[in-house]
Amino acid sequence: MLETYRGTYFHPRTQFITIDASGNVLESDNVLFSLKKGDEIGSVSPFFDGLSAYFDLEEDNDIKFTCIHLENGKKKEFTCDIEFKTFADPSQPSLVIIHDFTDHYDYYQEVAQSRNESVINSQVLELQNKYLKEKEDFKNTFIANFSHELRNPLTGVTAFCSVLQKTDMSTEQQDYVEVIKSSADHLKNMIGDILEMSKIEVGKLTIEEELFNFHELIELLDFTYTVKAKQKNIVFEMDFDDKIPRYIEGDKTRIKQVFENLLENAFKFTATGKVTFSVKENQRRARKVNLNISIKDTGIGIPAEKIALIFNSFTQLNNAQKYSGTGLGLSIVKGLVELMDGKITVESEEGVGSNFKMNINFKYPINQENTSLDDKSDIENKNFLTKEKYNILLAEDSELAQMAVLKILAQEGHFFLDIITNGEDVIESVIHNEYDLILMDIRMPGTNGDELTKMIRSLPVQNCKTIPILAITANLYDDDKKRYKKMGMNDIIEKPFDETTLLKKIYKYLK
Amino acid sequence: MKKASKKIILLGHFGVGKSSLIRQFVENTFTSDYKVTIGVHILKKEVEVAPDENVSLIIWDLEGYDDIKKTRASYLLGTHGFIYVFDVTRPATFENLKNDIDYLTNQYAKTPLKIVGNKADLVTKTYLKENANMFGVQPNFFTSAKTGTKVDELFTTLAKELVK
Repeated sequence: MLETYRGTYFHPRTQFITIDASGNVLESDNVLFSLKKGDEIGSVSPFFDGLSAYFDLEEDNDIKFTCIHLENGKKKEFTCDIEFKTFADPSQPSLVIIHDFTDHYDYYQEVAQSRNESVINSQVLELQNKYLKEKEDFKNTFIANFSHELRNPLTGVTAFCSVLQKTDMSTEQQDYVEVIKSSADHLKNMIGDILEMSKIEVGKLTIEEELFNFHELIELLDFTYTVKAKQKNIVFEMDFDDKIPRYIEGDKTRIKQVFENLLENAFKFTATGKVTFSVKENQRRARKVNLNISIKDTGIGIPAEKIALIFNSFTQLNNAQKYSGTGLGLSIVKGLVELMDGKITVESEEGVGSNFKMNINFKYPINQENTSLDDKSDIENKNFLTKEKYNILLAEDSELAQMAVLKILAQEGHFFLDIITNGEDVIESVIHNEYDLILMDIRMPGTNGDELTKMIRSLPVQNCKTIPILAITANLYDDDKKRYKKMGMNDIIEKPFDETTLLKKIYKYLK
Repeated sequence: MKKASKKIILLGHFGVGKSSLIRQFVENTFTSDYKVTIGVHILKKEVEVAPDENVSLIIWDLEGYDDIKKTRASYLLGTHGFIYVFDVTRPATFENLKNDIDYLTNQYAKTPLKIVGNKADLVTKTYLKENANMFGVQPNFFTSAKTGTKVDELFTTLAKELVK
């Protein structure tokens, strides 16, 4: 019975072939491939071409090849292991044994396929992430560098406008200068926006926490926008909850920026009707007060399908040139509110108006009475000057910036100014002169300003440890700022600067 | 006419396009569907290396490995030339390029070897120029099995070296 079964169910998958020394078939059982006497074994597959060259004819050889793909005459593909036996005795023909393991190897192929695909996919994903990150970094570095380059010439424009305004000019000329100045200010704001956005995106912007008079900030905004509303012939309503602590801890500059940004936006898009600024206390817990803030307008509103887009960078819904701006205002606001651990949402209806709602937590001191803040304006320091003339060193390679500082200081009449354009000469000059203050550009040929400051601070010369050193720079990432401070710089004057800013900072540090 | 047979082997990581290069060279076709090669496929193509002189290239398309030393020794018997292929877009395929090439040149000092960066259509020429040092070894060809760029040139150049 066994033999009968074997005859019925056994399908041999192995072919035996004998060949002569030149690779011609002598005998074949043709289980897989149909061959007749005299056929070249190479006709089965190029695999057999030149095989004989592998063997040492002086002795018996036995070589196995695994997983070889072969095709028969009917285009059927087999995956086989092949054994090759040759004999030193020339009367014995060589033997080729072909084992068909197609089923086994097909399964192995499927496993390898899914394994390799998943490995490749994960490598590709990893690369895409890396590429996206590099692109993002490049974009941000590019923006930072580019806005830096823009700030330098802009310093020249704004500073010289101030200088020019003090010269003898006709009313017409004064008007022209005013136009230049306001255009330059506008440009400066836009560059500022772009830089700010890039800082938020790379996480280089941090929120300071300082105690400040929150009521005073609201009063200032109330005053400013009431005047603005009158000019625009719309109504401005301030709805402020007096119970809110007067002094809170937060980043005054950033909070003001958020409010101003939203208010400016509301004013920009509201031609008739009302802008309402509401600040309400929601709850207090421990030393924290939670505020609900909203800025509501009766302006053009936002179409429902575009609400999701408005906090994206560079998105301006109204593409018509009617409304100016970089399209960064709201994304900056959102970035800042989130940095303060707050939330911002918007409700809007086209043609009816928009309502921007924020919810932010602020810390506040329990004892509000003993809180005293030094509100003395820096420019008032001018009245406390003790010397008639001050020696100031300006280390700056940009001629435009040199001239701007020179002109502004010359008008004041309190200063002798030394100008050095090369980093290396600064130290020499500091050793031989007694300066009251140093204005230090950061990017300079030779040595950078922050490095120079560190060197100056370590000089064994009297007053080198204490002399005020102010950075003049457009590199204003928080990392940079921290580094300047660490290197021993007292303060930073941002490029582009105008007359008031420059003088304010100088007077603040002169005794 | 003179006619010789030469066995060449394509080596390199999986998914770098070894089978696609061969298919482009032998059949002038390309498909972006990836089918993993297991074991070895062997194809043949005749190449004219000089007027009145052809060489029959027996091209062994080997399963890709991440470690060249795992290549089955029997496959390498009697090889006349190597083509080592990597994928210019996937660092994992050229991270060990230098070691692999050193290994091959030590083990098979007399066997001609061509180093090929494939999938060059996916990057710019400038990228390849600026990142020349990234691969660790200077490749002989940057090919694209997809567009056919430098594919014939690769095989023909090697074939000519084999009959010298």
